[in-house]
Formats: sequence, structure tokens, C-alpha cells
Amino acid sequence: MGVEILTGQGFWHALVWFAAALGVFLLSLAIWSMGRREFRRGTEAELPFVSGERVEDARVGAPHLYWGFAEALKPFLERLRNFHSGFIGDYVGWFAVILAVILLLVMA
Amino acid sequence: MGTHAPILAIAVPLLGGFALPLLARFHKGLRDAWAIVVALFVSVCAGYVASRVLSGEIWIYVLGAKNPVDTLAPGGFPIRIMLTVDALSAFLGIIAGIIGPLMFLSLIRFLPEEEGKTLSLTLATLLLAGIMGMAYTGDLFNFFVFLEVTSIAACGIIGFRTWTSRAPEAAFKTMLLYALSGLFFLLGVAFLYGEYGALNMAYVSREIRGTTVDRLALALFLSGLLMKAAAAPMHFWAPDAYGETPPAATPLLVVNTQVSLYGLWRVLFTLYGGVLDRGVGWLVVALGLLTMVVAAFMALVQTDLGRLVAYGAVSQIGYMMLGVGVGLVALPGKPPYALVATQGGVFHMLNDALTVGLLFLCVAAVEWVRGTRDLRELGGLGHSLPEVGLCFLLSSLALAGIPPLNGFASKILIYEGSFGLSPILTAVAVLTSILLLAVFVRAFQGAFLGPRVEVGKKVPWQLLLAMGILAVGIVVFGLVPGFFVEKMVGPAAEALFSRSAYLFAVLRG
Amino acid sequence: MIGNLPFVACMILVALGLWTLLAKRNLIKLVIGMSLIESGVNLFLVTLGYVRGGIPPIYTFAPEGAPMVLPTPQALTLTSIVIAVATTALMLAFVVVIYRHKGTLDARKIRDLRG
Repeated sequence: MGVEILTGQGFWHALVWFAAALGVFLLSLAIWSMGRREFRRGTEAELPFVSGERVEDARVGAPHLYWGFAEALKPFLERLRNFHSGFIGDYVGWFAVILAVILLLVMA
Repeated sequence: MGTHAPILAIAVPLLGGFALPLLARFHKGLRDAWAIVVALFVSVCAGYVASRVLSGEIWIYVLGAKNPVDTLAPGGFPIRIMLTVDALSAFLGIIAGIIGPLMFLSLIRFLPEEEGKTLSLTLATLLLAGIMGMAYTGDLFNFFVFLEVTSIAACGIIGFRTWTSRAPEAAFKTMLLYALSGLFFLLGVAFLYGEYGALNMAYVSREIRGTTVDRLALALFLSGLLMKAAAAPMHFWAPDAYGETPPAATPLLVVNTQVSLYGLWRVLFTLYGGVLDRGVGWLVVALGLLTMVVAAFMALVQTDLGRLVAYGAVSQIGYMMLGVGVGLVALPGKPPYALVATQGGVFHMLNDALTVGLLFLCVAAVEWVRGTRDLRELGGLGHSLPEVGLCFLLSSLALAGIPPLNGFASKILIYEGSFGLSPILTAVAVLTSILLLAVFVRAFQGAFLGPRVEVGKKVPWQLLLAMGILAVGIVVFGLVPGFFVEKMVGPAAEALFSRSAYLFAVLRG
Repeated sequence: MIGNLPFVACMILVALGLWTLLAKRNLIKLVIGMSLIESGVNLFLVTLGYVRGGIPPIYTFAPEGAPMVLPTPQALTLTSIVIAVATTALMLAFVVVIYRHKGTLDARKIRDLRG
């Protein structure tokens, strides 16, 4: 039918994936059904509390996600950001560098 | 009409684009309808050309003569300009034919009327014409002309928002870098013309030996086309350009970049196919890896949604370069993993156009509704814009290569193909996919999740329709990839390796 | 007698234009550098067509048996000049708009889009 593609070492078939996904779904359904039953929507149970205090409008915005990851890689990421300096002379400079590298590669 | 389909796909948007300001004088709705009609006509032509070419034969269309044989001077020297449509060109035409009408559909509603909308629609139509010209042409100087047409049209669209200070800055920097790359490409063409006296790709490809001038021309071609295709470390214009255009217009800019990448493959595989050595292939692979990694890490720290998606688009170009670069490294021998990797790289062009196109349309919807793209201020849009949120989630998962979506279908081909060359390539590619998933989870959380935020405006139905069609395409290409790989991608990837078939079709047919 | 000197001169023009793009900070000077590169490439294209002792490639009143210079590079150069005009016009238009917003033409100060 054309659902599967053959790579050199294996194959990908969407129905196989669906079977696996169904299995995972049933497993997670089973685990979910073993949880507590007393949760009701619209009561106080679903309001955000931060450190025991009721907070209006609490939301985890985008800068909070992966903050630790970005902090840990800060030296590398800061260096990378400084490369994207916004200065057009640097950009043309990289073009000249690549031209020189390719000339060395191709002529030698 | 059927015999003239390739040139009509280029000529109709050219002339139709210039008719747009005329029609706008009568009625604005007429102009909008005409833009869509022109884009649909291009799609029909591209589809017809593809249906004839993908079954095996290369279509040679000679401008000004009925028969290619009539145009060979004594000695087998092609004089006229030829459009040589082989399977890869037809594939690129299909991509432009899919993205074109959808982009015009969302553009006619998204652009504000009073700020030069007519001229922007004209520029977008010219961009479409230039893309089809670059894809279909078989002549080096003609390729340069269409390259510059797309550069100028693209930069005109990038600088559309002249009332801000960021858009003209992005447009100036992009125009400078595009013009630089175009001029160095022209210098390479001039070298080859001076040496062989011809501009036809097939003729020069047959005559090329590996002399010093040829190598110099190769270096110029490579640097010019790599710059236009946003390969690191020359990708700096891409986040500015993709981020500052009106987001509904960016999908066609992405196709423009992909067609420049196609130009690179045409030069490397077909023009220099006989005399290339492995160093160039390894260079393409290395730059592809660099592009992937640099763009993914830069996307992690962005706060502007448009720039974040732009960095994601740049990293996908790295995947395409990795896939086809593996094929380039193994060029003389053509082991099976090289063909698989090339199929992955070519298939990824189509999937990337759909995925990134849908992402940018979602960004356009968010900007339309909230007026801002800053992730620190957005939030909670999933309640009021569920369709946009679903489309964003779908396309983010597709971009990160999660099964069963279309990004996975092409990425698994790239992974398994590059594994045959070196496991390190696959490791870097997979890790970058995971990092991109992290980036887009962050973007999705920042824009769509959270407590409900009230919004006043509704997303226009044109935008929703275009998003829906692209989302359906993403799911379909992911569930039944085998059909498309067999019918479209396989012949396109094979065309890269069949240089002799290309030469035979032009020079002896 | 002059050998390859015209080609070398065109390459020097291109190199000078590239150096201008790298070293100068004024936006107008960057556009001038771009125009230098364009001039160099166009001159290179025209110089390619020269045939020693050639006459202009016009058939009317042409002397018998004289070699003609190649007309194709002239056509290529005209196309390239037109494209260069459009490119320069677009770049200068954006420079004017940037100046209107920022009041400066220094490329080091026009760096809103970074990071």
C-alpha cells in the first residue's frame, strides 16, 4: 500500500507504531485508573498555590522552562550569542572565511 | 498548453504579478482573487510537469525552438536557453506549488491594507516566479538571473513593515548578503564561461576537467550558494529575515532557501559530478552538522517567537545538508546507505516546507490575535485558540521528528543513511532533534499553556484553512510515507546520481 | 602583451570591494563596496569576450573576414548591470528608512537584531 518505507537497516511502518502506541496508551490508562478519585474540577483543588500561599495569575512562562539547562551551559551560550552580533561586517567576514577555507580545500 | 507547462509556470506569475497593481485599481477583491488564481495556476502547471517527469523522462523545453536537436550548433553546442526539468526540479516545483497558494491565501487577509499591500502581493508573486525559474532552468546564467529576482523580491517582502526599525534593518542586511552571494555565483559562472564558452549546464558538465579555473569556480559557487542556503556560519541573515517579515509570508522565503540548496546540489552533483573529490562532500556534511547544532542552541535562548521558529527552520536545513552530503561523500560508488540518506535529505525538503510553513502560520495567528510575539508576555492562548494550539503542537512534534508525523519519516532515512557513513553523524543529529523538541516545548508552554487569557480578535478563516490543509499534509505524509518515497522522492534522489541521463537528455535528444 | 592583466585588475576590484565591506562601518560605504564588487564582476564578464583584433559584433558594413568580439558576454553584462541597479536601489532605500528611524548610519549602532 505504500505505508512503509525501507531504510537500509530496517523499516518504518505506521501500523506497527499504532500497535505500540495503543499498548502504551492502555498501560498509562491502567496506571491512571489506580489514582485518587476525589478530585473535582472547579473547586479549590485546582487553583495555583505557591509555597502554601494562594497566588493569582501564577503561570510558568517560557523563560522559566529549561532555565537550569541554559544556566549550566551559560559560557557556551553566551559565546554563541556574541557571534550573532548583529554587525554586518562580521557576517561578511564569515563569508570571506568560508571562501578562504573552501579555496584551500578545493585547490589543494 | 500542456507542451508549454514549464515556461508557463514561470511566465504566468511574472506577468500576473505585474498585473496586480492594475487590477487593484478596479477592486481590491479582484486583486486578491487574481493572486490566488495565479498561485493555483502555478500549482497546476507544477503538478502536470511532475506527473510527466517523475515517471522517468527528463523534460527539455527549449525557449524558441520546437525541438532541442534544432538548437545544437555544429559540434553539439546548445545555443538557446533550455529548461531542463528532471525529477528533482519537478519535486521542488511541487513544493512551491503546495506552499504558494496556501501562503497567498493567508497573506491576502494578514497584510494591512493601507501599507502597500498591493506591492507586497506583487513581490510575493515575483518571488514565486523566481523560485519556479530557479527550479526548472538548465542554464547557468538563467539560474543567476532568477536567483537575483528571488533575492530582490524576498528582501522587498522582508522590509515590508517600514514603520518599525527592525524590518528595514533585517532587509538591508539580508539584501547585502544575498547580493554578495549572487555576485560571487556570477563570478563562478563567468570563470566557467570564459573557459568553455557555454552557459548550458549539461554542456559545461560534459566538458569540465579538474583544472585550476574549474576549482576556483567551484569554490565561488559553493560559497555563494551556501550563503544563500543559510548554512552555518553564514546563516546569520536567516533569523533576522524570517523573524521580521510578516509571518504569513515566511513560508515562501523558506522555499526560496530550499531552492538555493537545490541549486547547490545541481552544481555539485550534475555540473561537477565527474570531477568532484570527497573533501567537498565532507565539507557539506560538516557544515550541515554545524548548522544543526548552532541553530538549535540559539533557539533555546530566544524570547521572540518568530525568531525561535526561524532558528528551528535553519537547523532543519542542516538536516537536509547532512542527508544529501552523505550521498555526495559516497558519490563515485553509490552504496545503498548513500541513496537512503539522499532520499531522506530530499524528502526532508518537502516535510520541512510543510512543517515550518505551518509553524509560521501559527506565529502569524498568534501575532494577529495578541499583537505581540514576545514569549514573556504571551500565555494562555490554548483556551481561546485551540486550533492554533493544536497545529503548533503538531508541527513542533513533526519538526522534532516524533513518529508518526512526516518529520520522522524523512529523519529516519537521514539517521539510518548517515549511520552507514559514520555513527557520530547520527548521534549528533538525534541529539539535536531532542534539543529542538525541548525548544518547542518551551515555545508551546510560553505561548499556549497556562491560565486563560482573554483575547478580543478571532483568527481569520483564511489562516485557519491554510493551517488545516498543512496539518492534514503533515499527518498524511507521516502515515503513508512509502507511497511518496516511491513515487516522488525516489526518482528525485535518483536524479542526483544520474548525471549521464541528464547529459544524454540535453545533448543528444 | 598585456596578457591576463585585465582579469587580474577585475579581481583586484572585487577584492577591494570585499575589503570595503569588511572594514567600513558607514552603511553608505557598505553599499559603495557592494557596487565595487559589482563593477569588478561586470568588467570581468565584458573582458571575457575580447578576441584579439576583433571588431564590434555588427554585421552591417563589417569588413570581410574580420574576427568579431563575442556578443554573449555583452548581453550577460547588461543583464548583470540592470540587476545591480535594482539591488543598489533597494539597499539604498532601506538605508534611508533606517536613517529615518535611527538617525545614524553607523553599522555598529544599528544592531537591534542580535542574539
